Amino acid sequence: MRCTAVVAAFLAAAAAAAQQPAAAPAAAAPAAGTSAIARQCLICHGRPEFKKVASDGSVVPLFIDEGELKRSVHARWQCVDCHADVTKIPHPEGLAPVNCQRCHFTTNPVGAPQDVNYDAYTRSVHGRLRLAGNTKAPLCQDCHGAHLVLKHGDPASHVNKARVPETCGRCHVDIYAQYQRSVHGRALLAKGNLEAPSCTDCHGEHSIMGAKETGSGVSAGNIAETCSHCHGSMAFNTRFNIPVNPVTTFKHSFHGIANELGSKKVAQCASCHTSHSVLPPEDPASSVNPANIPATCGKAGCHEGANANYARGRFHIDPESKSSGIIYWVALFFKILTVSTLVALIIHILMDLVKKLRMGHAGGHAGE
Amino acid sequence: MSEPNDALRDALAAELERTHRLSTEEAAERAARMEERVRPRFATWVRRELTIQRRKEKVAVAAEAHGAAAVAATGEEFVRLSLELRLQHALMALSVILLVVTGLPLKFHESGWAKPIIGLFGGPDFSPIVHRIAATGLIIAGMWHLVFIVATREGRRTFLQLIPMPQDARDAWQQIKYYLGRTGDRPKYDRFSYVEKFDYWAVYWGMVIMIGSGTMLWFTEFFLRHVPKWVTDIAKEAHSDEALLATLAIVIWHFYNVHLNPHKFPMNRTFITGKISEREMIEEHPLEYERIMEERRRKTADDGGES
Repeated sequence: MRCTAVVAAFLAAAAAAAQQPAAAPAAAAPAAGTSAIARQCLICHGRPEFKKVASDGSVVPLFIDEGELKRSVHARWQCVDCHADVTKIPHPEGLAPVNCQRCHFTTNPVGAPQDVNYDAYTRSVHGRLRLAGNTKAPLCQDCHGAHLVLKHGDPASHVNKARVPETCGRCHVDIYAQYQRSVHGRALLAKGNLEAPSCTDCHGEHSIMGAKETGSGVSAGNIAETCSHCHGSMAFNTRFNIPVNPVTTFKHSFHGIANELGSKKVAQCASCHTSHSVLPPEDPASSVNPANIPATCGKAGCHEGANANYARGRFHIDPESKSSGIIYWVALFFKILTVSTLVALIIHILMDLVKKLRMGHAGGHAGE
Repeated sequence: MSEPNDALRDALAAELERTHRLSTEEAAERAARMEERVRPRFATWVRRELTIQRRKEKVAVAAEAHGAAAVAATGEEFVRLSLELRLQHALMALSVILLVVTGLPLKFHESGWAKPIIGLFGGPDFSPIVHRIAATGLIIAGMWHLVFIVATREGRRTFLQLIPMPQDARDAWQQIKYYLGRTGDRPKYDRFSYVEKFDYWAVYWGMVIMIGSGTMLWFTEFFLRHVPKWVTDIAKEAHSDEALLATLAIVIWHFYNVHLNPHKFPMNRTFITGKISEREMIEEHPLEYERIMEERRRKTADDGGES
């Protein structure tokens, strides 16, 4: 963040403002309107054309929308309550990013909401990268918004369910593009169906882990459980025209069993359905469309050389359901065969046992 | 119970008097002593003893009529399973145990014991290899047996004796009547009773299903070059379901017949020694016993005629 501030024509006015000492956080700052100190800051930062040139030559906008400040849950606070290291004008170089923990900590006196999320964040992949010095990794304000912080229930919030994909997509550009085209993305973003998963529903929020880490909800060992939050319920599946329970049928398949027993090589949900481009099999672009099955099954390390035979048959077979066709009848045949055979054998055993006990084995040899 | 006991005691006394050359009083006294010892089960005991005695005697009488000496030495053991059959059984048993132990955890993968057992065999990446090694053992046992029943005299004879006949249905019916107390006579079995024939053919069925479907699951990618996926799905379902049926049949039925039932507990040793006692032979395979005795009698008579 080493940058050279190019001070424009506002320098003089700003210098005047810096004469005022920074006020301590005022517990009962007026909720409406903009405080005197903020107004001073806005003399420069309130102008859309206020920018600087960073040391790498990029132009950094320094404009702050006063309207956003007023709508934010932090509207009652002063700029310098958060930007605590801004003590003079022109500002010193290397200002630190705002540290939300100044207020959001346990037993804080100003009533800022706090919970374990900050701890979760420091253990998350984002937090660990940030602590390791990677300035591209997000801080609180990168997702929650800097000057327009809203509660997540507010549709305008950056962390509102419907806006999370856009927020994550600011960094994860390719994945955002894939997600928008997937059945989940279309349902949430285009149709506004809040049942559809946003990024955080699968990946977690503050505790987000790398996809290959065992603690991640989307790791090979956990993904089936994560998908089951929605797809484990047949009431849910039926509403979206999914005829069998995809989770239980997966768990009973060879893939699912090996997955459950800890195999890392075996296919799980995302191996076939993809992670972010999930589409129904009817969609020609779907990885599980019959035309694409050979390519999907034939991925390197899986069933290389897969052909169209792989698509000839059902997937997610439930032997208990008539919709499984021949498999249902095979299972039924064996069920009848097993029960009838065992009932007959057990009756035979019991008759034999009763007879032999009555005859008395010991007595049988008493005369010998 | 006292009235039939009186009749049986008299029968026993008569038998003792005749076979042990006792006086009537001595025989009656010994019969009464025996009754005292095994009173609650006296009736069934006497019937059983008399049956064995009569069957032995029938053979002896037939031999005597032809002027030959007694043919069966008391305490003789009869060969029931040749070494080759015992080895086939051992290979199959060992393979099946390994297959069940590495296979059932997959069927019951949701149970707590599934993961530790698979872990015991090297986890989900190695236990399938153990399963395939055991499968190879089972396939070898099956092919060995097929060659045996086609290419050897013993095998051909044994196989023919194992073919189900109408007599087996009659035997089964009589056995059930005997169990229910409708008749006092057990059916007289030849070398293989209907129970043993059932066991043998049940294994045939199991081998065909398990080896057929198992091979398809082992070489899925090869088979999928030639057959649609739903065929391999049938193989998976059949393999899983027949595995359970076979395991239950072995654990419940076979273990009862050879280990747990009161006449064999704790174990019928025939699968190791290959032999059964004369008493077992007379009780369980009387027709075979009589036939063997008849053959011996004829042989000694022929030898006697020649010399």
